Amino acid sequence: MSIKEKARELLEGEVDGVLGCRLVGGSHLPHLFTAAGIEDMAEDYPEGERYPIASIVRRLQTEDPGVRIAVVARGCDERSLIELSKQGQVDLGRVVILGLACEGDLARECGCAEPYPSEIVDGQRVEGVPDYSLVEKMDRMPADARLDFWLSRFGSCIKCYGCRNVCPLCYCKECALEDAEMVERGRVPPARPAFHLIRALDMAGRCVDCGLCEEACPMGIPLRTLYRKVGRVVEDNFDYRPGRSLEEKSPLAVLGTEKDLE
Amino acid sequence: MGENDNGEVRILAFLCNWCSYAGADLAGVSRLQYPPNVLDIRVMCTGTISPYHVIKAFQMGIDGVLIAGCHIGDCHYIKGNYMTYKRFQVMRDVLKFIGIDEDRLRLEWVSAAEGEKFADVIKGFTEQVEKAGPSPLRSGWEKDPAQWERIRNAFKPLETLEPA
Repeated sequence: MSIKEKARELLEGEVDGVLGCRLVGGSHLPHLFTAAGIEDMAEDYPEGERYPIASIVRRLQTEDPGVRIAVVARGCDERSLIELSKQGQVDLGRVVILGLACEGDLARECGCAEPYPSEIVDGQRVEGVPDYSLVEKMDRMPADARLDFWLSRFGSCIKCYGCRNVCPLCYCKECALEDAEMVERGRVPPARPAFHLIRALDMAGRCVDCGLCEEACPMGIPLRTLYRKVGRVVEDNFDYRPGRSLEEKSPLAVLGTEKDLE
Repeated sequence: MGENDNGEVRILAFLCNWCSYAGADLAGVSRLQYPPNVLDIRVMCTGTISPYHVIKAFQMGIDGVLIAGCHIGDCHYIKGNYMTYKRFQVMRDVLKFIGIDEDRLRLEWVSAAEGEKFADVIKGFTEQVEKAGPSPLRSGWEKDPAQWERIRNAFKPLETLEPA
């Protein structure tokens, strides 16, 4: 059964709306379909057009806590939803996930380890090719060369906040990046490396490696390399991978036990 | 401190109110010698120290950041220092990846009775930071005495209560 057929079936009573994509002027844009409009739902999900779907679910639920929705979700979207749920931002009990496996170039080249959700409705499961080559290359560089590299990359930042705005895991109402004490107003590039370090450290235990930040960055800052390292640090220290399971507790969201000291 | 310092490097030390700050006090009243290039910030618990504080300290040109709190099991808030330890691991590794030497950040457990340990920790850490040299994020502020004052003004407000 295709995603659209499944969506039609769910709209017969199980859910109030289905979050998918609609073709608008040749682009696939996220759209919340009701039973009346479901015929406009796109059949295909091109690889170049990804969105922070989990953020949309979070906002829909914030606006209307009772709403029941189904959502077309890739592997990264599902991981985001799981992580948001563990942080109390999304109620997965009222969400049906219509799993979409990434195929072709996206699955191979995007670089995430699991380019598929736990249950696939559409697409073939392809194992991802996680790419840590840049992280490892940088690990081998001397510290001062690393600092030079990052300072020069961060120096191109135009402070558009695109990385934060697109991030499905960024949901704070008050953001440190807008705190004048942390980030001076009206200065471009923003304080280096503080601006990007704030985001990097906030990604610890959160980043699901969807890569939307790097895609959104107009200046081509290798943000994903930075956050992948953060992900690895968290995994090495706490054996925790954000979005992997609903049961595991996020290490930086709970106080801790003697086990953490080992 | 600050006004009469003679050290090359500048260190910011976050000390927990219940243990390490008292340890520092003991070191002081015991007249133990330790380097004077440290700005100490008394916080109620090391668990209250956000990574933002550490980032900000380095951004302002501090050469080393020391976090000192109660020994595991002795936390006044039961488990605040477990949190500190977890955060510390992440901060240390991520800062290192950016190119800020791991020798510039240290976590120590110092109790109220360990005045001598406190002096040793400050001495050891200062030597370690001196070896790493002035922070590459300094922007010539050693020539600008006002920066030390700005750092003090930025962090002293974290001390919200009178000492116990």
